[in-house]
Amino acid sequence: MSPIGSVSSLFASAAPLTKLDGPLPKLPGATLAPAGPIPSTGFGQMLDGLVATVDAKQAQAQSLTQQVLLGDSDQLHQSVIAMQEAGVSFSLIVEVRNKLIESYQELMRTQV
Amino acid sequence: MNLISGIDLSANALAAQKTRLDIVAQNIANAQTTRTASGGPYQRQVVSFETQLVRSQGNAHSALQSVRVAQVTTDRSPGEQVYNPQHPDASADGMVSMPNVNLSQEMVDLITASRTYEANLSVVKNARQMAARTLAIGK
Repeated sequence: MSPIGSVSSLFASAAPLTKLDGPLPKLPGATLAPAGPIPSTGFGQMLDGLVATVDAKQAQAQSLTQQVLLGDSDQLHQSVIAMQEAGVSFSLIVEVRNKLIESYQELMRTQV
Repeated sequence: MNLISGIDLSANALAAQKTRLDIVAQNIANAQTTRTASGGPYQRQVVSFETQLVRSQGNAHSALQSVRVAQVTTDRSPGEQVYNPQHPDASADGMVSMPNVNLSQEMVDLITASRTYEANLSVVKNARQMAARTLAIGK
């Protein structure tokens, strides 16, 4: 199936929902109110946790690589896979940082 | 947190194929060994695999099936008998029992293990590329 075909089928399935004068169809299980109390952890804490996780991944990759290089382990693929995972995690946190800085700059451009 | 899901399965498969490669190497290395610790010529070793459940957190597929080496068994088929009276392991009538290693069969096993390893590496590479492309959505 071509990507365009799948997109058009998506529109076809979404067509019954575009009627705007009636009440919105209620999806089963979809409630707008939050299910419970919103956790009080702020964005800073979340970012902290993310940085810690990425750092742990880097450390794990480093220790696995060291084990391979020292001859303690022959699991070369584990080491390379750990490095790749650490790389992807790092890219994720770089993306988050970029987004954060972008929103900060957007705010700083506000006319007062 | 595991960003690249499914990569653990491939990692286990890589380890399993690596074990298989080691066993093939052992078979080829001992293709001429007529004396072992248990007596008699070397007997070819065969690797068999079994599934292994891998729990992944926060996923619809709560348990994925990975692979691991189930056991390494010994091929009990008789080896070739070679007439060589000068050999120290020759019997009274001058026959030496050689290992039951068939080099062409081992080469086929080697290539199969190597190709399977490559296939799993491709899965790893693709999973990583998928994650990297997802991160490039905002660019």
